Amino acid sequence: MATGKRILLVKTALDGHWRGLSLVARALRDAGFHVIIGGMITGPEIVRSAVDEDVDLVGLNVGGHALVVERVIAELRAARPELPIFAGGVLPPSTCRRLAELGVETYPPGSTLEAIVAAAHRLTGQDERSSLGAGAR
Amino acid sequence: MADHPLPPTDPRSQSGLPLRAAYGPDDVPPEHRAIMDRLPGEAPFQRGGFPQGYRTKPWRIFQLSGFGKPEDENERIKFLLRTGETGFLMEHDRNTADHLYNVDHPEVVARREDVGLTGAPMQSIRDTHLCLQGIPIETTYGHAGGAVVQHGPYALAAYWSVAKRRGLDLATLPGTGQSDFFLTYLGCVTKQQIPTAAGLRLNADIIEFCGRHLPKWVPVSIAAYNGGDSGLNAYEELGALIANAIEYLDEIRRRGRMDITAAASRCGGVNFRTTLDIFEDASKLRAARKMWHRLLSERYGVTDPRALRLRIHVVTSGSKMTYQQPLNNIVRGTLMALTAVLGGAQSLGVSGYDEALSVPSEHAHQMSVRIQQILQHETNLSAVADPLGGSFYVESLTADLEQRAWQFVEEIQAQGGFLATLDSGWLHGKARDNQIREMEEEVAGRKVVVGVTHFTDDVSPFVVDGFPGVNDAYDVALERLRAVRRERHQAGACAALKALEACCRSEQNIMPVMMQALDAEVTLGEIGELYRQIWGDWQTPELV
Repeated sequence: MATGKRILLVKTALDGHWRGLSLVARALRDAGFHVIIGGMITGPEIVRSAVDEDVDLVGLNVGGHALVVERVIAELRAARPELPIFAGGVLPPSTCRRLAELGVETYPPGSTLEAIVAAAHRLTGQDERSSLGAGAR
Repeated sequence: MADHPLPPTDPRSQSGLPLRAAYGPDDVPPEHRAIMDRLPGEAPFQRGGFPQGYRTKPWRIFQLSGFGKPEDENERIKFLLRTGETGFLMEHDRNTADHLYNVDHPEVVARREDVGLTGAPMQSIRDTHLCLQGIPIETTYGHAGGAVVQHGPYALAAYWSVAKRRGLDLATLPGTGQSDFFLTYLGCVTKQQIPTAAGLRLNADIIEFCGRHLPKWVPVSIAAYNGGDSGLNAYEELGALIANAIEYLDEIRRRGRMDITAAASRCGGVNFRTTLDIFEDASKLRAARKMWHRLLSERYGVTDPRALRLRIHVVTSGSKMTYQQPLNNIVRGTLMALTAVLGGAQSLGVSGYDEALSVPSEHAHQMSVRIQQILQHETNLSAVADPLGGSFYVESLTADLEQRAWQFVEEIQAQGGFLATLDSGWLHGKARDNQIREMEEEVAGRKVVVGVTHFTDDVSPFVVDGFPGVNDAYDVALERLRAVRRERHQAGACAALKALEACCRSEQNIMPVMMQALDAEVTLGEIGELYRQIWGDWQTPELV
């Protein structure tokens, strides 16, 4: 499992609801990814983790204002322009559109774990054979 | 997106209880059948605490509210009171309040645009004063905020100090705090928090202080809602609430400064969630009252009926509200509210239809109030207490949930008690197991969420983008923080902070000194610094 592509999951806000992040982390691990949980950390700390852990994808769990997320994205882009980013959490349609303009895929509430895992495969280029629930539907 | 085939009807309740196609008298266990004919208002109160039900005591319409600057929050509270809510709830900004940070703390500065999104920042008594301006707190039941444990004493002291400055008598002030362990250590684990043992001490201080000075105040609210929406099922939610109450009441008894009957009657205002499994959740509220009665009479020897009668506040499950086709949530909110009423709740908050997007917009708030008003005035629901009483199905569910819940209490006690299960992460594990089970159901296509997994066509002309809030909450809070630091009597603030430190290190009740500190304009962040020095940080168990 640990040989899978590496994904950093972080929370951008000082909001400790952990249910969503926990489920996404589990689904990604089940699909063979190496998931690193960054927790509630600031933009510069997210960048440091992404670089130190040499991750292939960053997942932002959003629970706050779009401008905070945009700043984190800008900081990540400055340090590692090629690194793909996707986001989940409390994401009103206007925030989804804004993040899409910045090249960040969004998975608001109601997104299936299947779709999130598929996105992780696509964004990291990891082989999809071990994907969660393959063939379940 | 193409809809998946519909799964067959689930022969189980939401918590996995096996269900029969129909119920008869033999499905109610004999010991429960023996108390089935007791009327509402009669012990053990599973049929309700009051003989006249809602005829004499309509449930309180009590909505979560807060955003922006204190004056924005004040305006929204006044709007809600005008719209018809009968108690008000004052949320504080999570970034600052939950962590006891001032807005210039680096953790907050890094996320400054988040400030004010979910409540107004209240860093000194000046802010609380602004938030409460023009609100008749002497006659209106108020929730002072302080949802997380370390924030409780600050939020309460601020509210009470404002009341005192208005010349009000605390002895007649109606309201409640929260200081909830479920939220703080299970559902919404903050980045920084005092350890559970310190939290227990603060809550016991609040309970004792209210017992002495604020007889109309519910000092802390055990909010099993936050366990439920984190994953605990109905009987785990019930059992964990009882285990939490044991922790508080054992501590009060150990300290020996307060009569246990008084403490029990103060703590007997608790909070559950209702979901969309109507009969299971209505039964849950009935079982809760019966369990409370048994806990108090058997474990603590309480005989006063007022202390044996549990009062319940319900919040409809936020996690049931969907992001897709949000107007469907008005129906979900109505059904979950109906469930609370059928279960005999004393007070109710209905989640906004935009819950999955933001804090409620003014219109979403209005709808939450209107739902309750329609239930109160157009349906005749209030005419008869416990309309489900005597239903073989509901009585059987009530008995089944109660039995499983007591078993869960025993499991928690075997782990060393409620606090121990939070410290070790045992309770989080229970919640996580259920989350995973729910996820597996979803992946296997066994779950239907209308408008999300199935029936996804939508012709609604309404665009819901969530409530944007205001954009100056941080800047104004920073300016006001500087003004407090500049203008306050420095020596007085310093002395009050020193007194607070001495009190924290002693076994004295923290509340009188906290009120003096608020009066001396000590700020939220200074109190946080002090707590962190004295108590350090809770060792968070593995959550993910």
